[in-house]
Amino acid sequence: MRALLYLQYQTFINRQASRLKRLKRPKYLIGGIAGALYFYFYFFRLLFGGGRRGTSTFDFSSEHLQFVQTIAASVLLVIVVLAWLIPHGRAALMFTEAEVNFLFPAPISRRTLIHFKLVKSQIAILFTTLLLTLVTGRFGGAGSGWIRALGWWVILSTLNLHFLGSSFARTMLLERGISNWKRRLIVLLVLAALVAIVVIWSRRAGGSLSFPDLQDFPALKDYFRQLTTTGPAPYLLYPFRMVVQPFFAQRASQFLLLLAPALAIMLFHYLWVIRANVAFEEASVDLSRRIAERMTAARSGNLQPRPTKAKASPFRLAPIGSPAVALFWKNLIAAGQMFSLRIWLILLCSLMPMMFVLASSFGSLHMSYAVGFGAMMVLIWSLMIGPQLLRQDFRHDLPIVDVLKTFPMRGWQVVFGELLAPATILTLLQWFLIATAMVFLTQLPDMGKVPFGSRFSVALGIAVVIPMLNLISLIIPNASVLLFPGWFQSGREGPHGIEATGQRLIFMLGQVLVFVVALIPAGAGAFLVYLPFVYWKQYMLGIPVASVAFAVVLAIEAAIAVFALGRIFERFDLSAET
Amino acid sequence: MIQVEGLTKLYGEFAAVTDLSFAVQPGEVLGLVGPNGAGKTTTLRCLSGIIPATRGVICIGGSVLADDPISAKRQLAFFSDEPRLFDYLTLEQHLAFTARIYQVANYREIAHPLLEELEISDKMNLLPGELSRGMKQKLAIACGLLHSPKVIFFDEPLTGLDPIGIRRMKNSILKRAREGAAIIISSHLLHLLEEVCSHVLIVKGGRKLIDGRLEDVRHKFAEESVDANLEEVFFRATGESESKP
Repeated sequence: MRALLYLQYQTFINRQASRLKRLKRPKYLIGGIAGALYFYFYFFRLLFGGGRRGTSTFDFSSEHLQFVQTIAASVLLVIVVLAWLIPHGRAALMFTEAEVNFLFPAPISRRTLIHFKLVKSQIAILFTTLLLTLVTGRFGGAGSGWIRALGWWVILSTLNLHFLGSSFARTMLLERGISNWKRRLIVLLVLAALVAIVVIWSRRAGGSLSFPDLQDFPALKDYFRQLTTTGPAPYLLYPFRMVVQPFFAQRASQFLLLLAPALAIMLFHYLWVIRANVAFEEASVDLSRRIAERMTAARSGNLQPRPTKAKASPFRLAPIGSPAVALFWKNLIAAGQMFSLRIWLILLCSLMPMMFVLASSFGSLHMSYAVGFGAMMVLIWSLMIGPQLLRQDFRHDLPIVDVLKTFPMRGWQVVFGELLAPATILTLLQWFLIATAMVFLTQLPDMGKVPFGSRFSVALGIAVVIPMLNLISLIIPNASVLLFPGWFQSGREGPHGIEATGQRLIFMLGQVLVFVVALIPAGAGAFLVYLPFVYWKQYMLGIPVASVAFAVVLAIEAAIAVFALGRIFERFDLSAET
Repeated sequence: MIQVEGLTKLYGEFAAVTDLSFAVQPGEVLGLVGPNGAGKTTTLRCLSGIIPATRGVICIGGSVLADDPISAKRQLAFFSDEPRLFDYLTLEQHLAFTARIYQVANYREIAHPLLEELEISDKMNLLPGELSRGMKQKLAIACGLLHSPKVIFFDEPLTGLDPIGIRRMKNSILKRAREGAAIIISSHLLHLLEEVCSHVLIVKGGRKLIDGRLEDVRHKFAEESVDANLEEVFFRATGESESKP
């Protein structure tokens, strides 16, 4: 075990040493300083330095605190249930490929390997603890920093042990012929029985516990409070409450009192894990291989998982024509890998609650307003976040830029071809959102009914400008890749840690600045074109016309940028960056 | 066909290639040989336009690479030691993509016998991730040869191939040379190079030690009227020794 601890210790020390060494290079040093300042001002100062919320304790009433604890315990319950419900593989401990090659053939017992894994996972847990403490300190009105930190550590460590224990139990069940679906059915039946007990009890409890209207949030909150603090539910949540309670302690003495039962639960989990005699080696070898593959792909800039299913071509690519279209076609296929059924489901699940909240805010009569307003919100969001999410351009192709360099194409053709796919996808998505908003935003608060002509005019104006806005906002990160490939996070040895955060911050600020600068001439052009329409009082007619002027100026800027980037690509020296 | 004059590539202060000059005519196969770090891969990457040369002139099929890169690149194909493919394109999509890039109107007619020759015609709808390393290599070759290049660069082309694959690769190289292509192969497998190369260029520390027809070079390093093989030539020319640790 000492050798394993030495391995862990030395790995940690060497990793930190190489990070410090890297700070000798200005690009990492600048990033490191920016990152350190960000963390200081955003987290530490507020947590420890007497910021707005830094020294305040949880200033909830005891009733409210109880409620928050119940929610936390319920969340923990859901996580634990999911850990028994979702996974399907055999128990696999996460080791690196080197650890598998060195440790598995070595005369080391299985129990020692589990201990090693537990010690190793503590590094990740401690880091997550620090991060969560800072985040909750920043957003959640934390009390003493160390109480929050230890509270998080207890929760995360217990969860970690539970995941491990449940994976061992799952493997044992599989070995005894109980398939995954059988296990899931049993878990669901137990869950259904428990829910039934709670529901039956609540029905019998009388009128005070009738399910309220979903739009009446205070009543809903009150219903949940009563349901979880009376009857059988508190007993069901009790062990989970014991784990989360130390986090909510307000004083050291109270914390120590609450820590004892939480530690007892953790100890129980530890004994469960350590006494399980389950073969995890084979599955662990497979897991380590998959993780190594994923890490290699991520380090070479490919954050998307390796595709497993071929995607159909978006259109037939004729062999003769502009070669830039070939890059567009290729990147559309790559983007197709991103838009799986799972992604659409996640998007749907993310948008539905927003629609629900909006609809309930305005009442069911204003559902169309909620849909229209939601579409506008997503449109604005897509303008800001879209170019960061859709990366089927140089950011995706940076690892194979040597292949692109061998193509008989002008630099501007390569740049233009690379930008086309994300710009087109974003534009189509945004046109759909504009159309949705135009159809559904029939009336606005304080303005009443909006005539179709006005809606059409504004929608057309936005639709004309959108493609060029996308192109400009995509040019900026792509220019960053070509100008500072070593800085860009998808580099072969992509930077991590505080310096990488600083680098991203600098880039983000730079991108915003360039974007704003690009908008100034376009805005000025559009304003000049719009002036005569103001004079003629043809406000709505002026919007699409001014938008065309806006788009033309942006198009000229984009063309200049594409040609300039093309020259940079032609001179791009990979060897200077590796 | 390939004319290199005074090629120099600096990485900061470090000279990876210094004042390298040589020529390869149509039908010739030049073996680029040298110890690790000799500058072989850097030379090939400069010749194929992947990295810019610091100094010197590279002429491919009559076009100066720095002045007219499109014309020069249209005539060449570069095969790296590791097949460089797009993870998300099937074999068929790779061919369609390459055809558009190189403007090969009749690519289907060209591709069919090529795929048959490489024995991958039944894998058209598979992704690279579903192919073995050898198959990936074959796909990269099919894409590279689709536009019938007149100049071909191979960087360690035999790495990872089984004996049948090596034999086929050698035959394929010789076939292209017979058809008039000028070929440069960089490899450490000297006995295999000896079978396919007509010429040899030995470099060390980024500088040319010797170049010329393979027979002439072997003769030059001959001992007691017996011609040296390429391995012996390599050791004598570079001053390397087997006994070194």
